[in-house]
Amino acid sequence: MIILSVLRAVKFSLQDLVRNFWLSIVTVVILVLALFSVNTLITIKVISQSAVDSIKEKVDINVYLKNEAAEPEIMALKAQISNINQVKSIDYVSKQQALDDFRDKHKNDPDVLEALRQLNKNPLSPTLVIKPKQVENYDDLITSINRIQNDIIESRNFDNPKQMLGKINGIAAKVNEAGMFVSFIFILITVLVVYNSIRVAIYTHQREIKIMRLVGASNWFIRAPYLFSSVIYTLLGLAVTALVFYPFLTLLQPYLETFFAGYSFNIVNYFKENFWRIFLLEFFSAAAINIFASWIAVRKYSRV
Amino acid sequence: MIRFINVTKIYHPDVRALNKINLHIKPGEFVSVVGQSGTGKTTLIKSLIGEERIDEGKIVVGDWDITDIRKNEIPVLRRQIGVIFQDFKLLPKKTLRENVAFALQVCGQTRQKIRSIVPQVLKIVGLEGKMDRYPSEVSGGEQQRTAIARALVHRPKILLADEPTGNLDSINAEEIIEMLLRINKFGTTVVLVTHNREIVNRLKRRVITIENGRIVSDQAVGKYLL
Ligand SMILES: Nc1ncnc2c1ncn2[C@@H]1O[C@H](COP(=O)(O)OP(=O)(O)OP(=O)(O)O)[C@@H](O)[C@H]1O
Ligand SMILES: [Mg+2]
Repeated sequence: MIILSVLRAVKFSLQDLVRNFWLSIVTVVILVLALFSVNTLITIKVISQSAVDSIKEKVDINVYLKNEAAEPEIMALKAQISNINQVKSIDYVSKQQALDDFRDKHKNDPDVLEALRQLNKNPLSPTLVIKPKQVENYDDLITSINRIQNDIIESRNFDNPKQMLGKINGIAAKVNEAGMFVSFIFILITVLVVYNSIRVAIYTHQREIKIMRLVGASNWFIRAPYLFSSVIYTLLGLAVTALVFYPFLTLLQPYLETFFAGYSFNIVNYFKENFWRIFLLEFFSAAAINIFASWIAVRKYSRV
Repeated sequence: MIRFINVTKIYHPDVRALNKINLHIKPGEFVSVVGQSGTGKTTLIKSLIGEERIDEGKIVVGDWDITDIRKNEIPVLRRQIGVIFQDFKLLPKKTLRENVAFALQVCGQTRQKIRSIVPQVLKIVGLEGKMDRYPSEVSGGEQQRTAIARALVHRPKILLADEPTGNLDSINAEEIIEMLLRINKFGTTVVLVTHNREIVNRLKRRVITIENGRIVSDQAVGKYLL
């Protein structure tokens, strides 16, 4: 009997969505706009986070050593540096290793390889490559390394990623803020539109509702179709958003690839891998918001 | 079956629609309620089905004190009391059959039950041949008979009729009253609110006269007094 009532309520709700066809369309479109802006917000977050990660990964300190430095001395220096607090890892790249890496990196660049061949000897120095634990402590690390006096050190090379990171974070924060604002506005509009759609739906059914009350239909049964309607709006909105959003991401991906040269990052894959997490979360939040909006409308207007 | 004890209903700001009404209607009775416009007859009906709350006194239906009935119990009450009105309250886009079935559908009745009950009640009111017509395709009397059929789907012990003949010519009105009498004969308590002097005088049943929210006369075999 309960299943029967649920099915009937769903049927009433679907009939209603079809009957108020244009109103349903408008409601779904607004929902799509809101969901799209929320998804864009997620995209921006993911992209900026990945940009920061990719830069952090690239950050290292190279300590170039003299050609004639002996292995034991190098190992001693390596041990000394790795004792510094802020060091995450330290790698010793021998002369030969450095050359191999260099060749590999430029394997598609015949000019460079030709120049190297003509040089006829290995121009690279043995190197200690140091990665910091946290980019935030980078300055301390540099100071510590600078303090080390050792004859085998030929030169030290520090990138300074802080400025870059600061810039990215700054932009990300601004875009994020704007995105939040836009999403908030869309969510607000959605609430109002869903509320209004349900109100109109109830209005067009006033006669039915009156009769339902008269013949002893339960409050639950009278209200359920409108709550279902808001869930169906949510489902439709999410489906359309997914359909529109993936092509949008696919268009975006080539630009990101250029931007993230060398760092493997694919926004389409990100959304594919996290599809259920993102869309289920969005479904439950959007459904909750819409049910809330229609519940208020139902409470207010179904008392006849 | 129905008991009003000292019932008072005050509409905002200061209309005493019912004023200390005391009333006892026994099971199987056929009672007419008469009175001028605005004397509280509809309010009496509404307070019986939980549509209006009373301010003082007590209303008991069967052995159920419905004075402070909870909202979620009202549907239970309404399935025990059938009601019909002057305007038939049918859905214009549904056939007579669908209109009657609607009352069962929205109460969670199964399809098989609906399929067996609907033709039965439509037969009781003599509409078995017109079940698939729309309200606009039948007479006012037939629409009211459809409303009666719908009121009967839950096999109520009480049938309330608030001016059921108000929109009908005398022949159709006569038919409706005949129908109510027949339903009463099968044991249903009927309360008929009406303005129709001829009908009341011909019925020779109990008549309650209300004036300004008070019962001014209650006769076992009554006449239309006003
Ligand atoms: N919802 C309401 N709010 C305020 N006053 C009301 C309301 N409903 C009815 N009244 C008043 O209560 C009194 C009784 O109304 P009621 O509808 O019960 O009369 P009635 O006897 O059914 O009249 P009629 O014969 O015209 O149908 C009237 O004075 C009416 O104006
Ligand atoms: Mg009235």
